Amino acid sequence: MASHEPAQRRLCAVIPPPFIVLRIALILLILGFWEFAPRFNLIDAANFPSLSTVVHTLFELFREQRFLDSLLATAGRVVLAFVIAAPISVVIGIIIAETVFLDRIVSPYIYLAMAVPQSIFLPIFIFAFGIGTLEKTIYGMTHVALVVLINTIAAVRSVPSGYLLAARSFGATPVQIYWKFYVPAMLPSLLTGLRLGLILDVIGVLVAEMYASQDGLGQLILSWSESFRMKEMLGTVLLISICTIAVNELLRGWENHLGRWRASLSER
Amino acid sequence: MARVIEVIKVGKTYPHPSGPVYALDNISFSVEDGQFVSIVGPSGCGKSTLLQILSGLLNATDGEVKVDGRLVTSPVPGTIAVVFQEALLLPWKTALANVELPLELRGVATEQRRRRSLEMLDLVGLTHAVGRYPHELSGGMRQRVSIARGLAPDPRIVMMDEPFGSLDEQTRTRMGDELLRIWETTRKTIILITHSLSEAIYLSDVVEVMGRDPGRILEEVRIDLPRPRRLDMMGSEVFGQLRNRIWHLIGDQAGTTVD
Amino acid sequence: MSRYAKILLALALLAIWQAVCSLGLISPVIVASPINIVRAATSEWPEFLGALGYTSLLILAGIVGAWGLGIVVGAALGSSELLARATAPILSSILAVPLVVWYPILMVWVGIGAESKIIYGMLSGFFPIALATLNAVQHYDRRYVTLARAMGANTVQLFVRFIIPMTLPTIVAGLRVGTAFTVIGIIVAEMLASTAGLGFLISYYRTMFDTGHVYLGISLALAITFVINLGLTSLEKHMGRWRSLELSARTSR
Repeated sequence: MASHEPAQRRLCAVIPPPFIVLRIALILLILGFWEFAPRFNLIDAANFPSLSTVVHTLFELFREQRFLDSLLATAGRVVLAFVIAAPISVVIGIIIAETVFLDRIVSPYIYLAMAVPQSIFLPIFIFAFGIGTLEKTIYGMTHVALVVLINTIAAVRSVPSGYLLAARSFGATPVQIYWKFYVPAMLPSLLTGLRLGLILDVIGVLVAEMYASQDGLGQLILSWSESFRMKEMLGTVLLISICTIAVNELLRGWENHLGRWRASLSER
Repeated sequence: MARVIEVIKVGKTYPHPSGPVYALDNISFSVEDGQFVSIVGPSGCGKSTLLQILSGLLNATDGEVKVDGRLVTSPVPGTIAVVFQEALLLPWKTALANVELPLELRGVATEQRRRRSLEMLDLVGLTHAVGRYPHELSGGMRQRVSIARGLAPDPRIVMMDEPFGSLDEQTRTRMGDELLRIWETTRKTIILITHSLSEAIYLSDVVEVMGRDPGRILEEVRIDLPRPRRLDMMGSEVFGQLRNRIWHLIGDQAGTTVD
Repeated sequence: MSRYAKILLALALLAIWQAVCSLGLISPVIVASPINIVRAATSEWPEFLGALGYTSLLILAGIVGAWGLGIVVGAALGSSELLARATAPILSSILAVPLVVWYPILMVWVGIGAESKIIYGMLSGFFPIALATLNAVQHYDRRYVTLARAMGANTVQLFVRFIIPMTLPTIVAGLRVGTAFTVIGIIVAEMLASTAGLGFLISYYRTMFDTGHVYLGISLALAITFVINLGLTSLEKHMGRWRSLELSARTSR
């Protein structure tokens, strides 16, 4: 493109591209609506408290022990489930993908399991493990395990077989091949699996807490709904939404960074 | 011989913040009925833009294009067929269904269009592949289906934009001969855009040599080689002289990529 | 594995299941035996049949809504490059949010009747469908539009014979994901707070520790997902040639 006038050029460097401007404008519009519609009574403020009220309530909640306990309980279950299930699933996934006969036998069942909505089985978990932290953690673990397993197998399969050939021609040892070629090639898809596993983990734990629990954010939100405590509900829900989005974007950014060598057309 | 296509002072200008861009400037030439005309030129000289204007896909900002005395401002599917560099076959349709497509769009009856399409596929030598899908065909075969598709509505004029550009050399030469054979059988008026000088000289009656910045006709070169053309003509002195002449015309322009 | 082998395998697994229960190897409080499930079915079949119908209707409504809204909004956003690039990341970010926590809010606003479940189901399925449609509309090969124009296609023909077939594979992939989300969403919503439907029955019998009826409810819910999957697969197969051809055309280049 031909050069602009110097003044124009400087301005262009400062203003972000139009689609980012539009995106920010849309978000601001939605937040603005949330803030001002209840204030000006365009919407019933009792049912839909303004954004500032909700944020304020959220900060207040952080001073309440009960809220902090619930937050800790939920976070603890999510983290525990992930930390236990993810590494095991990765290892098992690699083993399955690398062992041809295992792969052929097990893969169809894994894909079948993926088509089944896991939430339906929650009552069975309750029958088996009660309604405490154990049950919720194990429930979360099953969510993590399945997704991570599938994505790990896909990650291993996605390593171009040409790599091995090239590596051997350099005279690399098997260990070197593994760490310098395989692992970096697998990493992006692996990370995708872990990210999805975390998302499903959070969903699983929250559903379990909302369904039947003595503590946890899910149970808290549901109990608030029974007493119509909109401010607290919206505050907590907002917190959860922002946190999940933030973690998701961070992990996705990391994935893209690791996978920037991939010439992907349809990746998003 | 009737003048089928008249290009009169065609120009194409694009507005731009730092000043207008003259893609094409004052292009005039005419094509007679049944002629085979090639257009060659360096990269970026606007050959494709010119073809788009000639076929009505794009409008000129100056001048006009007339086909059979009528102004061309939009595509004329019954009269002008366009063959693109990529075959652009619909991947979900068989070769036969792809060839039938233009006839289907115009409401031609099933029986009739099937017959016509089979004829065309026979003409391009693909009778054995009528039921195959594009992904089962080689690049050359796909391009032949594309040509058959172009010929299906029996247009008077076929305009091709580097149709053999993505093929390897051997296939390319073979396809050139195929094209000549088809042309001799059907006697359509053909306009071919190519960056291969040899191809242009070998196939055509007339070669329009374009230059760039702005895109314009440098010279119109008549090819006085006897027909039917034979591959060994490419080694003849006449051929060499023609090639040199065109090569120098283009070569005098900066930044040429020509073979 | 042949069809008969698969059926035999399923029957064998069923037999093992029954044997394990009859022998008391696993507590009946956790796992119901096949016989118990059948017993529950025969005794309470009007109740469960009614719930099956009710839930199926809700799911149908949710699917229609999610598909309709998702495709329309996705196509609208995808038709403009500016809108598409601006909104696609927003849509895809929302996919990370556990929508289930928003359900209690919906409950307060709309109650716990059929409407809240349908709306929730619609929302659950909307985002993946809209995103897929947006991508499909943004990225289809525009050279085919030029081809269509050169062949003299009018606007209707352009859409029906070129644009729709080109975008369909991507959209259908989104429909698969969105439909799964809608189904799960509605069943979970019924489990959380409802006065009717399969989810409600599952929860009710759970509080009574009635494994037989709970497993029956779960089986019926699984049956619904199975039927829907079958429907989607046949839909895909009907257009499936397009998809597999498109994929193989891309990979063979």
